[in-house]
Amino acid sequence: MYCIETKNLDHRFSSGQQVLSNINLKIPSGSIFGFLGPNGAGKTTTLRLLLGLLKKQSGKIEFFGEDFEKQRIPILKKTGSLIESPSFYGQLTAAENLEILQRVYCIPKKRINEALQIVGLADTGNKKSSRFSLGMKQRLSIAMAILHNPDILILDEPTNGLDPNGIIEIRALLKSLNEDHKMTILISSHLLSEIEKLVTHTGIIHKGKLIFQGTLNQLQQKQERNSITSFETDDNEKAFHILQQNKFEISSKNGKINLSIQDKTAIAGINRILVENKIDVYQIHSSNSDLESIFMEMVSK
Amino acid sequence: MELIRCIQAEWLKRRHSLASWLVIVGGFFTSVILIIAKLVHYDKLAEANKQPGFWRQHWLNSWESMAILLLPLGIILAVSLITQLEFRNNCWKQWHTTPQHFTTMYFSKLLVLIFMLLQLFFFLNIGIYLSAVLPGLFVKGTSYPAAEIPFSLFAKQNLIFFITSLPVVSLQFLAGLQFKNFMVSLGCGITLWIASIALLTWKYSYILPYSYSSLYFFNIAGRFKHQINFSYWSLGWFFLFTVAGYILYITKKEKG
Repeated sequence: MYCIETKNLDHRFSSGQQVLSNINLKIPSGSIFGFLGPNGAGKTTTLRLLLGLLKKQSGKIEFFGEDFEKQRIPILKKTGSLIESPSFYGQLTAAENLEILQRVYCIPKKRINEALQIVGLADTGNKKSSRFSLGMKQRLSIAMAILHNPDILILDEPTNGLDPNGIIEIRALLKSLNEDHKMTILISSHLLSEIEKLVTHTGIIHKGKLIFQGTLNQLQQKQERNSITSFETDDNEKAFHILQQNKFEISSKNGKINLSIQDKTAIAGINRILVENKIDVYQIHSSNSDLESIFMEMVSK
Repeated sequence: MELIRCIQAEWLKRRHSLASWLVIVGGFFTSVILIIAKLVHYDKLAEANKQPGFWRQHWLNSWESMAILLLPLGIILAVSLITQLEFRNNCWKQWHTTPQHFTTMYFSKLLVLIFMLLQLFFFLNIGIYLSAVLPGLFVKGTSYPAAEIPFSLFAKQNLIFFITSLPVVSLQFLAGLQFKNFMVSLGCGITLWIASIALLTWKYSYILPYSYSSLYFFNIAGRFKHQINFSYWSLGWFFLFTVAGYILYITKKEKG
């Protein structure tokens, strides 16, 4: 069963501009789902629609198989969120901020300290949260999101503005929430490199359209299929002919011979064939060698 | 239960805020000034305390600046500050994703504002009493005021002052929820208050709800009388602004 599923979700701004078009997100239970896309692609709008912060115009949103509009309150009881910048009352301490939500969720008071322990803010004492560093503010917001031990956590770019150390800390925290506390996590980012070590599934949104959705393995396979290794030789015509005879799928473009392979052994084998046939190889170049490149290629179309 | 939990949460939010300090300072401000004034004119204190109309005169002195100036301005400022807590801290989006009905959220915030108003009245009344008896303790030969405190009259006038404040609370609340910029709701409130003061002597001045506490004070002080029922008018405006604010809040397309 999917934890969150959207069906044909569309959204337009009041100016008439289409922001989301036919979004069919499927977020499996227990996954860490990376929702990727460049700035302005529609990530935040999608997440705000999921949480009911924006009025839905068309399509359907389901959490745990139930319609969000009809079951808003029971669904929100099982959901924690952090949308864009941190939200908390600056004149209050970390514990006082959590106490507000503790009343609303009607949960035991000891949970406040537990949540602060999880995010590493248990020793902030009487310090007003407005005086926290950006990393601490972000962690306080995560503590507020996980206070009621939700089944699903929706985080919109939670590492924005953090230094590399802060990013690593948040990543480790989210991983432990997923593994130790069995939370499904939906996390948005505009950088694949930032979350590729964290996520199990990804969805890529671009110009309001979902252009990829699947596991990280599926994305890697797609990347391998799209990967090209090009050879530049002293006699491309002869090289083309020899490789064709050896049953390689090849094409020729801009004075280079292109092959859809990434395997290092295969590349070495092709090089050997060319050299044995007295062809000088000037350059071997593999493109799209990482996930970031395939992401960039997808969103630049 | 949801409403009670939400009110408790709203009450916690106002802790250490400027608005909560404003209630305490506003409640005791006039009394402190009166105590200082009485101590400066200490020679008249013993005689004043013997007068049969002492409490009535002291009550009117205490309410004069409060009814005309401090009460409406204090409400305008405190309500704007409370609604601004959500905007300034970026908290609407967090609050609106908690498992509560929007109706509960709206009315719990409004109720907290009304509780704060009650708190202000409580401090004000304590202050009025203290400012009547404290100066006498420091001036030799001054006894406790001879006259009896007219409790029922003061309770009735307290209640009417409280009711006349409600439309200001609800209109400021409406504006505070609609405008992200604190200065807009504050500016609207101050403009309406200035207009109501400028039009106080106009025969239709009762149209502006910001003038009710001033007009009621002038009525009980016997300066000039309006033949209207301030309670009915105040409750009517309060109901209207509360419903209008609720409709605007609930139908907002973007909730943070």
